[in-house]
Amino acid sequence: MIAKVLVANRGEIACRILRACQEAEIETVAVCAPNDLESMFVEMADEVVVLRGDSIGETYLDHTQIIQAALDTGAHAIHPGFGFLSERADVARAVVDAGLVWVGPRAEAIEQMGDKMTARQTMRKAGVPVIPGEEVESIDEDQAMLELEEASTRVGYPLLLKASSGGGGKGMRAVTNPSEFHEAARAARREAVAAFGDGRIYIERLLSGSKHVEIQVLADSHGTTIHLGERECSVQRRHQKVFEEAPCATLTPELRDAMGDAAVAAAEAVAYEGAGTVEFLLAPSGEFFFLEMNTRIQVEHPVTELVTGVDIVREQLRIASGAPMSCGPLNLRGHAIEVRLYAEDAANNFLPAIGPLAVFQPPQGPGIRLDTGVREGDDVTPNYDPMLAKLIVWAPSRVEALQRMRRALDEFVILGTTTNIRFLRELCDVQAVIEGTTTTTTIDDTWPNGWQPSENQSIEEASLLMAAMGETLGLHRVHRTGGEVSGSTGPPSPFATLQRRYP
Amino acid sequence: MQHTFSSPDGPIEVTLGKDDGAFALAGHRAILIGDGRLRVTLGDGRIMFGHVAKVGDVWWVALGGHTYRWERMEAGASAGGNEGGLIAPMPGKVLQVLVKVGHTVEAGQALMVLEAMKMEHRIVAPSDGIVTMIHFADGDQVEQGASLLEIEAESE
Repeated sequence: MIAKVLVANRGEIACRILRACQEAEIETVAVCAPNDLESMFVEMADEVVVLRGDSIGETYLDHTQIIQAALDTGAHAIHPGFGFLSERADVARAVVDAGLVWVGPRAEAIEQMGDKMTARQTMRKAGVPVIPGEEVESIDEDQAMLELEEASTRVGYPLLLKASSGGGGKGMRAVTNPSEFHEAARAARREAVAAFGDGRIYIERLLSGSKHVEIQVLADSHGTTIHLGERECSVQRRHQKVFEEAPCATLTPELRDAMGDAAVAAAEAVAYEGAGTVEFLLAPSGEFFFLEMNTRIQVEHPVTELVTGVDIVREQLRIASGAPMSCGPLNLRGHAIEVRLYAEDAANNFLPAIGPLAVFQPPQGPGIRLDTGVREGDDVTPNYDPMLAKLIVWAPSRVEALQRMRRALDEFVILGTTTNIRFLRELCDVQAVIEGTTTTTTIDDTWPNGWQPSENQSIEEASLLMAAMGETLGLHRVHRTGGEVSGSTGPPSPFATLQRRYP
Repeated sequence: MQHTFSSPDGPIEVTLGKDDGAFALAGHRAILIGDGRLRVTLGDGRIMFGHVAKVGDVWWVALGGHTYRWERMEAGASAGGNEGGLIAPMPGKVLQVLVKVGHTVEAGQALMVLEAMKMEHRIVAPSDGIVTMIHFADGDQVEQGASLLEIEAESE
């Protein structure tokens, strides 16, 4: 029985988990870095422990401090969310050793899947197809570079360099020309060392024209392992997903069964428990290859929740407490699409942006779900990931879901920080997106020289009229910038007077 | 009621007109309906609702699914460009400086590698030229907007 959970994360995923706990009548503890004290997730928890330290390494990655916070507050379990500590086997083990429950798979399963090279070997043994490629185990820089160079000629071009401890596009490089290999491999190693403290990289054949299709799995401690169908996440920029949907528009029921069976086999091969995602590349030929398994809740889990009716985070909590999962047979209904709103300049190579959220007005109405960790008045800082929100829509059909997404994005107003809203909106009009034939290169194929917003002369002229009116009328809408208050102080934020619940 | 805003193509001078209680520009009209919200009637008769907010000297405008940034300029101020300078797009750390002062570089050539939000960003030469100044070294922290290095275009 879990009566109190510490959420070892921040931002929107912390909000998601805290809400699930609250619904399950589980008490909650948030941990936060000093610079996050005013963030939304802190106010959703029953209690908060402020971590000591300045950097991410000293705060959200300091598992010793976080485990102590759980013990001090009497929490029974730690939910790691995604990123941060979520795929750290040593942390999962330390949590269990401290007498707490880790809301996630056992440390051994994280280890077997977390090291991407070991995972490829485990999957080969379990009969799950993997992408042709080679692993290079050498630690020594010069030796590794030499072996990588040799392996690259056997794998062939174009190829993909990936960090063995990698994820989220970090430490990943696509190489099309052998002359670029050396610089790309050094950069990938450098980025991998900086992000993961492990510079080992491996080489995969770059399968162009493929779809990224992943299967959500759930496994409990009573011997049940099931899959919840697929998500298609082909549309990526710089190897980061921006547009995800369920189901995949082109997947046949037969292929869904085959991929689902392979995903269940992958999970069972490591005696998996909890929620996890098995990622595959689906080639135009209909062949599919194991990419990796994410041993945690995934950013895009809401699309699966909307089409299956399963609350995946709630199931995680149920499974962690030792209870059987509550899911019945797979029953897909309608279509769901998620887009990731980033604070970034899509017209300038997707560079991260910062600034105040002077206006943050999400869309409303039927079929709309917004998972966010920010609200109007917050500042987007360079300290953390630039994802602002996930906008998810559900509709009876794919066509209607896309129509709903267009409407929702048109309604969404964010001022004060550059975001990718317009990019996402124009993405909804791309032929491959309309047809459901997206691949991992759709963005690059559609905008080979980078994306620029479409021009609309009369709307641009009218926007100048509006700016000039704002100046003439002195419309200084109040917002905070960097802790300072510009203009007069406005009405208090509703959160400033939030009442905490102490049951 | 004249205002000047900067744009990539140079300063834009805006002179607002008044039309039956509304403000007018280029055939479009708008009225304030409260709290940074405006009702706009475009020249073709379409009616839209939009938002404005000011951050520093920049007016942010949302209208019809588009977002615009218009930076207000004092009347008579120059465009204030940064000729040949390369600006840090984000606060971050210099991982590597790939060129030295006096190097001849080609457009698109990588000059510097920055790390921001745990991702590497390559600063590339916007045009052919010669590196005349480098303001930072490996490992330095840079603020957003800092001038990183300077390139002088090669004269023919």
